[in-house]
Amino acid sequence: MYSPGPRLETVNAFATIDELEAALREASYLPERGLSTALFLSLALEKPVLLEGEAGVGKTEAAKALARARGARLIRLQCYEGLDVAHAVYEWNYPRQLLHIRAAQEGTVSDAELFGREFLIRRPLLEALEADEPVVLLIDEIDRADEEFEAFLLEMLSDFQITIPELGTVRARRRPSVVLTSNRTRELHDALKRRCLFHWIGHPTIEREIAIVRLRVPGVPERLAAEAATFVRGLRALDLAKPPGVAETIDWAQALAALGREELDAEVVESTLGSVLKYREDFEAVRDGVLLALVAEARAGR
Amino acid sequence: MTVSSWRSSPRHALAADALVRHVVTFGRVLREVGIEAGPGRISDALAGLDRVELASADDVYYTLRQTLVARHDELELFDRAFAAWFLRAPVRPPGRALPPPPRSRQQLARPSNEAAPSAPEHDGEGSRHELGSSPHELLREKDFAAMTPDEFDRARALIAQIAATRPLRRSRRLRAHPRGDRLDLRRLMRESLATGGDPVERAFRRRRDVPRRLVLLCDVSGSMEAYTRALLLFVHAVLGTGPGVEAFAFGTRLSCLTGDLTTRNPERALERAAAAVNDWGSGTRIGASLKEFNDVYGRRALSRGAVIVIVSDGWERQENSTLGREMARLARAAYAVVWVNPLKGSPEYQPLAGGMRAALPFVDRFLAGHNVRSLEELATVLAGIERRHAA
Repeated sequence: MYSPGPRLETVNAFATIDELEAALREASYLPERGLSTALFLSLALEKPVLLEGEAGVGKTEAAKALARARGARLIRLQCYEGLDVAHAVYEWNYPRQLLHIRAAQEGTVSDAELFGREFLIRRPLLEALEADEPVVLLIDEIDRADEEFEAFLLEMLSDFQITIPELGTVRARRRPSVVLTSNRTRELHDALKRRCLFHWIGHPTIEREIAIVRLRVPGVPERLAAEAATFVRGLRALDLAKPPGVAETIDWAQALAALGREELDAEVVESTLGSVLKYREDFEAVRDGVLLALVAEARAGR
Repeated sequence: MTVSSWRSSPRHALAADALVRHVVTFGRVLREVGIEAGPGRISDALAGLDRVELASADDVYYTLRQTLVARHDELELFDRAFAAWFLRAPVRPPGRALPPPPRSRQQLARPSNEAAPSAPEHDGEGSRHELGSSPHELLREKDFAAMTPDEFDRARALIAQIAATRPLRRSRRLRAHPRGDRLDLRRLMRESLATGGDPVERAFRRRRDVPRRLVLLCDVSGSMEAYTRALLLFVHAVLGTGPGVEAFAFGTRLSCLTGDLTTRNPERALERAAAAVNDWGSGTRIGASLKEFNDVYGRRALSRGAVIVIVSDGWERQENSTLGREMARLARAAYAVVWVNPLKGSPEYQPLAGGMRAALPFVDRFLAGHNVRSLEELATVLAGIERRHAA
């Protein structure tokens, strides 16, 4: 009744890692070699890729960039505790069903009619399976979902099909490329990990971080980008509750550029540090401690 | 490709079968250092290598790493194995393969009778033999440190029985329930088909209670050994109640016990943990260990909404400001903090030790845990624990 044939096809438009890397760069994302390798293999082997790393190192951004680079549609499922099938896969449109029954007057609505496709609300996973165009499915922060959902996801990722009791089995028309991200709030189940390629994203090197800032903050003075990146690198070496990620460096550089700054000084750092350090303890420790030394280091380019 | 041509071009163009052999052997090397690289992963690695430029060491490295390793904490082991196998670098054997120092093994195997401080003479009505045949009641009251090996064996069975109950939290998932508080629209819709769209029978769902995450941090320094063994048996039993239990051991450092405890004999796991986290003679660093927990695991939100149980005598060998600060961080993230201090079993005990004093303001429940009865109390507290501080 409702199952388009198993016409699984992924077109890997990239013959080599270098080609993919160039496309990502085109899409305003500067990947390190390990990440490009992971994304390349994910496309080549048609396996989901699991990206882990500290908050703010660009895990989610990598998936978005992959979608842009492939000219694919990005479908994102944000995970949270208690995420269930109704929010991840599909739900029935109850108000419409009710109206439909009322409109039919005679009470002769059949089960098949009531649970037909026009009453189906597609959530991200179903949408990714049914899409006709190429899709990058981003399952963001999978570690936040509970373990029951992980088990469900495992099943979906192995067969790329979902069973809706009232409709039958929906098979993927084309296999979406799947990117999962995790902040490691908990260790994921081994079976799920076995399905995935695994890549750990660390903080970028200072040269790469400067390049990222210059790419993402158009018009940022070169000197400011370098000083901001150096300053943030200094922060990461400290013992902070939440070391800043690349995302914070970008935010900060944006703020500094918006203020028309050409370079760092203690005053502007203190007034904008809130966009880099999100914990009060961290903020105070740096403000009252090493701020001046870090500014001096950043200005000296060390 | 023949052996001679392989020699003539060692860098690129590995023959397919040579490559397969290479990777399969590497898989065996990985399994030896404790990384599980099954046939599925090996075949992924080979498929991946087929698609990348073999002349690029980086690409080969990442391809193998991404297909063969699934855990962040295995990356270092992998790097060492990779260096040893593919780069032929001389390496030291990985740290975790080192046997524990013999002294720890001996110390932890059995608490010697001399090690039992102030064995409560009054509850021993006669020789140890008579005690051994005394009813469970007596055994339940007996301080772990004063138990003979026989008694401890019997206490073990009691401990395993206690641990079955766990604190619950409300899940966001809904289950059909006759007295639920939400309408089950899907069922309602189906059932109202028969009545022309009028919902005659109402179907309900309600939220389900699921076990709250439980995190145990056990002090395994020398002064705690008799109690730690008992508590760890308790932890082992709790781990058996389902997912969401994490256990850590600390001394001078912190080490995660969860994996070890679920797969191994708990007492062997304890020996290994004690060997791993104790620098003999340097004393316990509770504050530093908690800091490590907050930094590494707390940052991954392991403590968020969890019930945290710290088992320690509170003897901090360093200044107490770190301990106070880290307890505050922990208490902010946790649902509730329970401190189990075996010394509290003694009626004269006062929490005067600086470390204990610094920690207490952040503790929701302060318990003893020095005998089987007090473990029962711990289990009861855990089953019904409420957050003391509203913040």
